[in-house]
Amino acid sequence: MDRLRDKVRKLLKEGKVAGYLGYIIKDSHPLPHLFTPERLEEVDRAIVAPGDARYPLDKLLQQLAGASPEATFAVQVRGCDERGLNELYKWDQLDPEKVVLVGVACPQEQADYCECAGPWPSVIDYGEKCQPVTQSRRVSRIEALPGAEAFQEWLGHFQKCVKCYGCRDICPMCFCKECSLEHPDLMSTGLVPPDTIFQLVRAIHMAGRCIDCGLCEENCPADIPLRVLYKKGNALVKDLFGYDTGSPEAGVSPWKMLGEEATLETKPM
Amino acid sequence: MAEKEFEPKIIGFFCNWCTYAGADLAGVSRLQYPPNIRVIRVMCSGTVSPHHVLRAFQKGADGVLIGGCHIGDCHYLRGNFMTIKRMRFLQDLLKFTGYKEGRLHLEWISAAEGPKFAQVVREFTEKIKKLGPSRLKLAARAA
Repeated sequence: MDRLRDKVRKLLKEGKVAGYLGYIIKDSHPLPHLFTPERLEEVDRAIVAPGDARYPLDKLLQQLAGASPEATFAVQVRGCDERGLNELYKWDQLDPEKVVLVGVACPQEQADYCECAGPWPSVIDYGEKCQPVTQSRRVSRIEALPGAEAFQEWLGHFQKCVKCYGCRDICPMCFCKECSLEHPDLMSTGLVPPDTIFQLVRAIHMAGRCIDCGLCEENCPADIPLRVLYKKGNALVKDLFGYDTGSPEAGVSPWKMLGEEATLETKPM
Repeated sequence: MAEKEFEPKIIGFFCNWCTYAGADLAGVSRLQYPPNIRVIRVMCSGTVSPHHVLRAFQKGADGVLIGGCHIGDCHYLRGNFMTIKRMRFLQDLLKFTGYKEGRLHLEWISAAEGPKFAQVVREFTEKIKKLGPSRLKLAARAA
């Protein structure tokens, strides 16, 4: 923790950043907090959030950057947060020149829980690299089910939805001003549970964009396994287009350009 | 009383330049094909969003057929590159959620391929008839 605090203190003191977006203990709760050079003493209380008390820092950073576009901010990132930043750079939502990373490597149990394939960022200021999980057991279980059973299972989950939009509102990658989930021509209005396609529409939008932070699933009051759906979406994007979501080397998202050639063939009827 | 044969509802999204013209050719050549298909003309198959397909299923379509120009023949040069990306992805995602494979079909049909158009519509309708009413439709009805 000292290493992380020293780095933050140095960044703030030297005026390299206008603020550091991280976590603080407030009334014994870990909460997101913007540390500023004016209140350096707060850095002594800067922490790394425990796994079950995470917030969408990438989303908060977008708001900060929107309010002060000239300022540079440091931000605490896990592997997923950094993937999120990489995607947001690609979608022109943040300027990579104006972001400084303070990296946190996730402990093994967090990586196992998330079934995370990249549980550390490119910069590590806290924690040690652990063993990544490359295969998601939750996804393979559904894949192995016969179609009718898989459908029943998903239908059961989808019908629990209370349409709180919590998955969208907490998602660091949901930055659209207008949302198709609220578009009356695309989604029935005034229905709870919503249309069966509600989660599928979100899954389509998340493909090649979801950075697998899992906040949607943790936030969901109905415990819908959204993460499984989005993990599969990303796996498909990787299989079909070779696009590795959140990787800085992956290039432009397949949904953002037409491409120089069509590499796929139509499926036989 | 004899049970009525299941008549599926099929939505077709056809591009203005190739498949729709192909449908026209099938029509003027007096080729027969089943009337289960409801055609929506779009300027390019690349404008068909996965939203539209999902919405069609939600509203009770038993099958969705997308028709576009052959790769390389697109009136907008590369519009159908997006069509194939989207539809292949959607086909696989629907499969994952247990939605029967093959209810969403993409076919390249040029303006000169009237017989192919009639053939594809015939085969697709037969296939959907065999698959029966869509699960999503049944689920929507039960709710």
